[in-house]
Amino acid sequence: MTDIKNIKHKAFLYDATRCIDCRACMIACSVENKIPMDKTRIWVAGVGLKGEYPNLDRASMVYHCMHCEEPDCMSACPVGAYSKREDGPVLYNKDVCIGCRYCMNACPFGVPHFDYNKGLIDGAFIDKCTMCTQRIDVGLEPACVATCPTEALVFGERADLIKEAHARIAAHPDRYIDHVYGETENGGTSYLILSHVPFSELGLPPLTSKPVKEVSEAVMGLTIPFALTWGAVLTGVTVGVHEYNKRKENAAKQTVEAEKESEDAK
Amino acid sequence: MKMQININPRLRLSPLVMVLLALMGIAFVVAMIRYINGIGAISNLSYSYPWGFWISFDLFTGVAIGSGAFVMAAAVYIFELKEFRPLLKPSVLTGFLGYTMVVIALLVDLGHPERIWYMMIHWNHTSVLLEIGICVMSYLTVLAIEFSPVFFEGIQWKKTAHFIHKFIMPFVILGVVLSTLHQSSLGSLLLIQPAKLYPLWWTPILPVLFFISAVSIGLAMIIFESTVSARYFHRGLESHLLEKLGRAVPIVLAIYLIVRFTQLTLANDLQYLFNSGLMSILFWAEIILGSVIPLVLFSIKKIRQSPNGLLVSAIVLLIGMILDRFDVSWFAVRHPDPLTFIPSLMQFNAHYIPSLPELSISIGIFSAGILAFGLIAKYLPLFEEEDGHHTASH
Ligand code: SF4
Ligand code: SF4
Ligand code: SF4
Repeated sequence: MTDIKNIKHKAFLYDATRCIDCRACMIACSVENKIPMDKTRIWVAGVGLKGEYPNLDRASMVYHCMHCEEPDCMSACPVGAYSKREDGPVLYNKDVCIGCRYCMNACPFGVPHFDYNKGLIDGAFIDKCTMCTQRIDVGLEPACVATCPTEALVFGERADLIKEAHARIAAHPDRYIDHVYGETENGGTSYLILSHVPFSELGLPPLTSKPVKEVSEAVMGLTIPFALTWGAVLTGVTVGVHEYNKRKENAAKQTVEAEKESEDAK
Repeated sequence: MKMQININPRLRLSPLVMVLLALMGIAFVVAMIRYINGIGAISNLSYSYPWGFWISFDLFTGVAIGSGAFVMAAAVYIFELKEFRPLLKPSVLTGFLGYTMVVIALLVDLGHPERIWYMMIHWNHTSVLLEIGICVMSYLTVLAIEFSPVFFEGIQWKKTAHFIHKFIMPFVILGVVLSTLHQSSLGSLLLIQPAKLYPLWWTPILPVLFFISAVSIGLAMIIFESTVSARYFHRGLESHLLEKLGRAVPIVLAIYLIVRFTQLTLANDLQYLFNSGLMSILFWAEIILGSVIPLVLFSIKKIRQSPNGLLVSAIVLLIGMILDRFDVSWFAVRHPDPLTFIPSLMQFNAHYIPSLPELSISIGIFSAGILAFGLIAKYLPLFEEEDGHHTASH
């Protein structure tokens, strides 16, 4: 395996068929990142029993920041608290966050979580997965990946993982849905998902390859040109109306004067 | 000439004032609890609902009903419709107080209210919220400038008032530009949620719809507040002016309806009109109350000529349009939250109903606004007679 430090575009691959719902990744993450008991950055959900005995089926899903290639959280944050590192992770900087929670609205996956139980003194912040930068920067796998006993979660170069995912589908077309969620969704993500049940059943939103921030950013791009044009138009209208009214007044005055004059002449 | 306003000194700790003060006191205590124990201690906001009543009511509704200020400023200064002057000052004041209330509410809602000014130094140019923040802060300044002549007149600094008046035009234009921007941007705020906002509401032209409806809300607000304050302060009502304003409402609403339904048709969203359960009901409620009924009412001359008719029509419009703001920012937003699957572990609400303390904050701030309006109306020359002189009523 190549050294994790040198992976150019780091990503996860989660395979729902391999997950046994042990939730060890949750514990590992909380321990590694000192997350209090009532919170978590990663969460595992069993999505229900299906079928009839003895043909029972059950799926589980590990939710996690998708580390989007085009992060919507980053686009939305007014003060730029988010950044996307070149090698993959989307990071949050609590030193500038004003706590508006717009990022939570923007993220289509509901990932950023706000600490509602802290007052001004403790400071309430957003928390989200950091891709364990403290670990990957020294060549270690993220804690959740390192802990996973079944390799349901693996870590590596994004392009390689996409290849690997398609290879798994090709090897067992009966076992998988023929799609790698995150390859194109929301403009691509660095958390890729393989599943044997429809992705919607895993609670994943149906997204196109266009990032959800696209329209919003396009409209924002129009702001300054629009403001300048609108300002100019309004100034024009103001001057125009003023001149028009003045002329009308003058004309009215002139007719009055003309009438007077003609009366005088009589 | 005596330039003092002389209205019934009704504000002296009347029962109404006592109630308002009590409501403000409650809000203050609740806010203190929030600052000590966190937003969760007083509200039902959650991971699924990061924004709730405060945003829908204080921000969305507050900004919308402040739009009378720029509508009137544009009419009086830009289009030189000087006859509307008497309506200008009260609407600028409503705008100023409304926006101040928005900022105060944000100071409760923001996780880090002490950092609100970071918006001025850390700019993320792709963020709609940043644009709104900057516009609202600048516009508040502009409104203060637009209103300041009234203040200076009130303290008899006639020269200062006159001086400011001379240079008011650039500020008026700036104010209208800022208003256009942030009234429409409130709609843009939801553009980042194509996957969450119901298709009956989500459209790239949300900002356009927001702007047009803001104009109609502005007109309705002026009618509403003039009528109500005329009753409260026992002063003459500018009925024929309001009648004229009322004439503009159907035009604005017709444009709104045309744009809205054209968009729905083009986006192929008409299919949701009747079969989306609650969403269809909300949609029709806001269309019928906010646009259709007022369009009819304001088109009838008899109704426009009766103060009660005007008031009722304006109230129906306001209810419908405010419902629209609530729909867009709350009712029609579906937050997918995977946490549904393990509710016991997480602090989590799949549904959101604002808590009482949460409501009390908004109510308290609103009471403060009403009280401030009353005080200012009492001590400053807010209302003018139509020939430009101040009322010396009774
Ligand atoms: S999943 Fe959400 S929080 Fe994570 S990068 Fe994407 S938009 Fe941001
Ligand atoms: S809550 Fe913080 S990180 Fe999220 S958008 Fe607001 S300022 Fe940015
Ligand atoms: S990468 Fe690290 S921070 Fe993110 S979920 Fe895994 S363990 Fe937690």
